[in-house]
Amino acid sequence: MTWRRLLRHETILALLVLLALFVLDRQSDKFFTLDNLFNQGRLMTEVGLVAIVMTFVIITGGIDLSVGSILGMTAILIGVFWKNLGLPLPVAIGLGLVVGTLAGVANGIIITRFRVPPLIATLGTLALYRGIAEGVSQARSVRGYPEWFYVLGQGQLLGVPTQLWIFGIAAVVAAALLGWTTCGRTTYAIGSNEVAARFSGLSVDVTKVAIYAASGLAAAVAAAIFVSRVSTTRSDMGTGIELDAITAVVLGGTSIFGGRGTIVGTLLGLVLIQALKNGLSLAGVKSDGTVVLIGAVLILTILLSNLFHRDQNR
Amino acid sequence: MLKTTLTAAAALALTTGLASAQSAWTGGDDLPTSPLACDGTPATPASVAYDGGEPTNPPDRNGKSITVVDVPKLIGIGYFDATSKGIAEAAKEMGTMTATTDGPVEANIDDQITVIDNYITKGVDGILFAANDPVAISPVLKKALAAGINVVGYDANSEPAARQWFVNQAEFNGIAKAMIDSLVAEAGDDASFAIVTSTFTTPNQARWIAEMGAYAAACHPNLKWLETVEAQEDNILSFNQANTLINKYGDELKGILGMTSVATPASADAVTQAGQCGKIAVVGLATPNAMKPYVEADCVKSVVLWNPVDLGYAAAFVLRAAADATLKPGDTSVKAGKLGDLSVINGSEILLGAPFVFTKENIGEFDF
Amino acid sequence: MTESTEFRAHRSGPARCVSAYGQEIVIACALVALFVVVSAINPRFLGANNVNTIVSGNAYIAVAAIGMSMIIITGHIDVSVGALIGVLATISGTLAVSGYPVWVAWTLPILIGAAINGVVGALVAYGRLPSIVVTLGMLSILRGGLVFVTGGAWINNLPPSFQLAQARLLGVPVPIWFMLVLTIAAFLWMRNTAFGRSLYAIGGNAEAARAAGIPVERRIVQVFMIHGAFAGIATMLFATQLKIIQSTVPPNLELTIITASVIGGVSILGGTGTVIGSTLAAVLFAAIGSAMIFVNVSAYWLRAVIGLLILVTVLVDMARRNREFRGSQR
Repeated sequence: MTWRRLLRHETILALLVLLALFVLDRQSDKFFTLDNLFNQGRLMTEVGLVAIVMTFVIITGGIDLSVGSILGMTAILIGVFWKNLGLPLPVAIGLGLVVGTLAGVANGIIITRFRVPPLIATLGTLALYRGIAEGVSQARSVRGYPEWFYVLGQGQLLGVPTQLWIFGIAAVVAAALLGWTTCGRTTYAIGSNEVAARFSGLSVDVTKVAIYAASGLAAAVAAAIFVSRVSTTRSDMGTGIELDAITAVVLGGTSIFGGRGTIVGTLLGLVLIQALKNGLSLAGVKSDGTVVLIGAVLILTILLSNLFHRDQNR
Repeated sequence: MLKTTLTAAAALALTTGLASAQSAWTGGDDLPTSPLACDGTPATPASVAYDGGEPTNPPDRNGKSITVVDVPKLIGIGYFDATSKGIAEAAKEMGTMTATTDGPVEANIDDQITVIDNYITKGVDGILFAANDPVAISPVLKKALAAGINVVGYDANSEPAARQWFVNQAEFNGIAKAMIDSLVAEAGDDASFAIVTSTFTTPNQARWIAEMGAYAAACHPNLKWLETVEAQEDNILSFNQANTLINKYGDELKGILGMTSVATPASADAVTQAGQCGKIAVVGLATPNAMKPYVEADCVKSVVLWNPVDLGYAAAFVLRAAADATLKPGDTSVKAGKLGDLSVINGSEILLGAPFVFTKENIGEFDF
Repeated sequence: MTESTEFRAHRSGPARCVSAYGQEIVIACALVALFVVVSAINPRFLGANNVNTIVSGNAYIAVAAIGMSMIIITGHIDVSVGALIGVLATISGTLAVSGYPVWVAWTLPILIGAAINGVVGALVAYGRLPSIVVTLGMLSILRGGLVFVTGGAWINNLPPSFQLAQARLLGVPVPIWFMLVLTIAAFLWMRNTAFGRSLYAIGGNAEAARAAGIPVERRIVQVFMIHGAFAGIATMLFATQLKIIQSTVPPNLELTIITASVIGGVSILGGTGTVIGSTLAAVLFAAIGSAMIFVNVSAYWLRAVIGLLILVTVLVDMARRNREFRGSQR
């Protein structure tokens, strides 16, 4: 796995992104304004955070379908902790993050200790966590949060939307972790050949649990941002976010079989999808048309990339 | 292996046991109910000050051509297809409005917010909406107002300050009264009934059910409310849920109330296929086209609704009036094309009228 | 970690039968237990009408799960099946109201389903794209395309002769016939024909299968087409149940179908499992859903219970496999 081979997919993707941005800019003069770009960044953060950690998960050859449910469950619990239990809001949010991380740890344990394939394990927890969200909330929403909380999702910090700072920091940290630390190299090793990694003395199980825990944490942070952005909690929040995240990660060049992928690729994938969603709408294409196009783009991009990677038949 | 199975079974039993703490209905939004008088004397409306929002520095749109986007809860169900038709009809009649309907493919707050956001960036003159969640949609609508866009809602409200006006198809308590009265007329004053709704959180449905409970308690205390089940917006699920209710209660069940345009025809179909037409009354909200076969077969006697085509039509005219500034805060009525004058209630709501009951006699006249 | 019959060969006949079909037996037992318990609480649960509602009303899920099981056995997955059924249902309804003979409205979707999934299969087999990616993309295309083409309108005015799912043959509802006949036929076919056995081989180890002379790529395309055809058959039952066809995709349908296959014992690792398990699991889910209403369990906890059930089933299954694997190494 040389840098040159990796670079090829990311280069194609980067060219695609530039092409898309250029075309969309020609279609509407409102597209390439700082205001719009920041706004899109704001809308992209929740999926983005989840997708960044999902990159790690998929590189290890696994998958996490329960992130949407963890998001919903955390959102509901933040509301319940704050309103029903009367805890101060920062404590409630902190507790919510803890619960989200524990949910991820549970995923990790089911996968490593009980050897359940990640697809099935997270399929089960997807139903379980969503069910907990519905059951605990009894379908009621929690509203009326204090004003300062809305700064997270709707406000700005030094002229840039607040959540974009969080997203930016997360992206940088994740890229550093993946590219330059032992933890990152272990991740790639697990994905390339788990048995060999284990026999090489790498702490495979601990890394995996940590990655799934991080996935839960990312979903929990996304939940806090989402609640702040829409000023309410609902038990159906986050449904479908796992598919959006996986689409972005796969689009970014991460192989679903594991062993290959970069954060930069995921970021490019996210940008491409968000740009399409926004730009196409500004150009007059309606929601249903955009949904179709994104599906087509996904298939075509991977197809194109595969044509350049003929030797990678796993 | 045995240990694992036993622990697993115990866990399952425990969960189910805990989950058994149930009641027939725990939805609703804690707002006070205000049932109408049993004999139908309309309540005197309290005059409320205008509580809607205002666009910031809107350009002068009086008499000019405007572009409007209509963002319903979702695209793909007959009800919003009908409201969309009404809006298109109004736009054509006015000649000065271009209206597009664009919405999420699922009833999802995030998707709806994204659609509205995109149109704000694109630059429309007016937004019509039917909210998936009243609180969640408000930040983005306030953003629209701040951008000088006129915002008018219909069918499902947002927070009042997030839009200028809201066209209300019928008062919540009016719908509740019509439903319960129809049920009583068919099944009797002491019937046991069950409700099939979309989800317990859908705001309109939750309000209607709360108001129905209050009205029934006040005017028909012998009615027995058995259970409420959720069926989302899926007609096969509604069908299966209705069937399960019929199976569970057997002869005890005398009526099913359908709370959405998806649940009512599915429940009617369940009653028909179970051979219970005439024994179980089906009353609900639905579009006439979906109910024609059942009404013609005498399985369903009355379908309660308002005219969603008129609803869309009125909303478009209200938006035009707001954009032209001919409708101002404090006005008590607005002219809505062929519908005539509609009155302003509750500060910033515009009432379409009383709920309409479709029966065998008149259902053939409608096509939506 | 895949099983092979070699590891079980040292067991005697009945024990081998039990271990080979362990999952199916567990589900059947769970189903019986559920019926017994709930009927004790409310005898109407066991009534003919209710059993009919449970089995007949959800037979389409079992039929779709047959095709899905085959896909999963070969080691792939399809998350677009729910959208496909939605699209085929709309096509079926449109044909019916446009005056085509009813049997055309019933059978044409089968061919269309096979064709659409054939494209997916080709992308997976020859394009070497991961099936989850292709079907994710296809899901978007189908879902958006459905709304785009129909504009959101429902289909009313279906001719009464269209309602296949409401008909009865010898007193038994048609959906139940479909479900039983197709399940048994598929089961026998998978076990006794070279084609069927090659699917297990591909799922177990595609390279070994290729070395053994199995035309892997062609099989994959074929199995995707068969899966599409089964989706079409499922549509026959799904679309003909009511007098209206919605133009939205039924929510969570693909998850239900996949879960039925997986709980039914089809290993996501590929290589094992039968369609009998998936059919039983589909019926079990439907029964649980109904049971919750009968037992007055708060509807809000339904999904949590299902999730817990999935996890429990899978954990038990994995424990069983681990034990067998370790046990066979003595």
